[in-house]
Amino acid sequence: MHLIVTHLGFLMQGVLFTLGLTVIGFVGALVLGTVLAVCRVGPITPLRVIGSAYVEFFRNIPLLSLLVLFIFGLPDAGVTIPLFASAAICLALSASAFACEAMRGGINSVSVGQAEAARAIGFSFLEVLRFVVLPQAFRAMVQPLVNVFIGVLLSSALAAAVGVAELTNRTQQLNLKYAEAVVCFLFAGAVYLVIALAGGTVGSRLERWLAIKR
Amino acid sequence: MSLLSSVRRRRTAAVAGLSAAALVALSACSSSASAPSIDGGGASGHLSAYNKIITAGPVASDSEINANPWAKKIKQQGYLRVGGTDSGPLFSLRDLNSGELTGFDAGLSQMLAHYITGKTDVKALTKLTITSVDTRETMLQNNTVDAVFATYSITPERAQKVDFAGPYYQSGDSIMVKKGNTSIKSVKDLNGKTVATESNSTAALAVHQLAPKAHVLLFKDDAQCVAAVQQGRADAYVLDQGILLGDAQNNPAVQVVGGNPFTVDPYGIGLNKQSGAKPFVNAFLKKIFASGDWAKLYKATIGTVVKGEVPNPPKIGSVPGS
Repeated sequence: MHLIVTHLGFLMQGVLFTLGLTVIGFVGALVLGTVLAVCRVGPITPLRVIGSAYVEFFRNIPLLSLLVLFIFGLPDAGVTIPLFASAAICLALSASAFACEAMRGGINSVSVGQAEAARAIGFSFLEVLRFVVLPQAFRAMVQPLVNVFIGVLLSSALAAAVGVAELTNRTQQLNLKYAEAVVCFLFAGAVYLVIALAGGTVGSRLERWLAIKR
Repeated sequence: MSLLSSVRRRRTAAVAGLSAAALVALSACSSSASAPSIDGGGASGHLSAYNKIITAGPVASDSEINANPWAKKIKQQGYLRVGGTDSGPLFSLRDLNSGELTGFDAGLSQMLAHYITGKTDVKALTKLTITSVDTRETMLQNNTVDAVFATYSITPERAQKVDFAGPYYQSGDSIMVKKGNTSIKSVKDLNGKTVATESNSTAALAVHQLAPKAHVLLFKDDAQCVAAVQQGRADAYVLDQGILLGDAQNNPAVQVVGGNPFTVDPYGIGLNKQSGAKPFVNAFLKKIFASGDWAKLYKATIGTVVKGEVPNPPKIGSVPGS
């Protein structure tokens, strides 16, 4: 424990990096996931195909492979992106596939009658989504999106394997010097737990706020 | 209804097929020039020469074994449970053709197993459990492995958790840069530059100490660090000199600079503190230092890339923690 207290500043910087990766990854996933979900439920077939292909690819490739390909494979093709940015981009790309499916599930949970009625009174496709379907779908999407958030948080630990100085990486450095594996990794685990619980709490609050009060 | 679902099935199959093809194409165009070569020689001649060095090593007498409970247990077991790696060039690499572990660390573990059990089938002498920097001390403490041979640097902090036999090799860190880079000649030039090293290596600590203004990037393994230097992500790569020389031999795009190693890194054999194994293993090391088997193993592994004469073996117990 004494070890953790002495190096608290060092570890907290790592926590900041982790939070940075998580936030950028999650926000990126939400934005990209929304676009993809709209593509997948939309009337334009080529967009539907592209959306499906993207999701099938990025949902089924291990994040570690994606990170290694991005960080060590791209430079051979001429494009070198800094480590933190690469890790954030990979996290966003991978999580956007999961976010897209979470949103599509939420959209499909809204009964077809809503979309039909909106069409009948003259809304265009995007207006149907924006004014009628998405506000109702959001209620069903909250918990799956919290899952995506926690997934991004825990996957950010993988970035340690490719050199990003986030919490897991710094814990490994400490362990290298002081050989206190159990204490170091228990601390890192506790930090991840606290952040994930915070995410879950926000999710439950949101869910309660959106619930239909009868 | 059935028309729609068959269209959907065909589409899903097409998407899956495309993705699989893309993955295969991506993996096929990886540049093999930057990957470390599979050393140890696929040729069976090279391997049998290595095996001969192992089996020519000394074997302990029954009285020596019975006097030490740890050795007795291992002799009854019939093999030595070793913690280490199988992807470390020069020190512990699995020969992909035969499946046998070869290298300096691997050879020492096999020699120790041969010393205790007297068996001559090199592949069956040891059972390897992959350990990492995060798990080595714990694996020794809970007896998951009998000994750790993993370019394990002896430090006083680690010596509080585990026993170290040795040192059996005095290593030192050196610097690798992209070929043509003349701005880095010694460790002092690393200040202000980006330096890559392995996340499980004490080289990271050495760089923090000797070049505090350097920006250190930690990667998981050797191949990633070499790729980082080659692709310009890092200006230099600091690691054990032997490993760097091995990489530079196989990769013409990088070179090792800096002359002699700028740190002293003694490697030891990790042992459980309560097992009483340390004096036994130290006696084994003294024997192979004196008999020339250590030198023969060195010549067959590290000596293939580090030029010059075989150095004298280090003095046992000469390092704090050993």
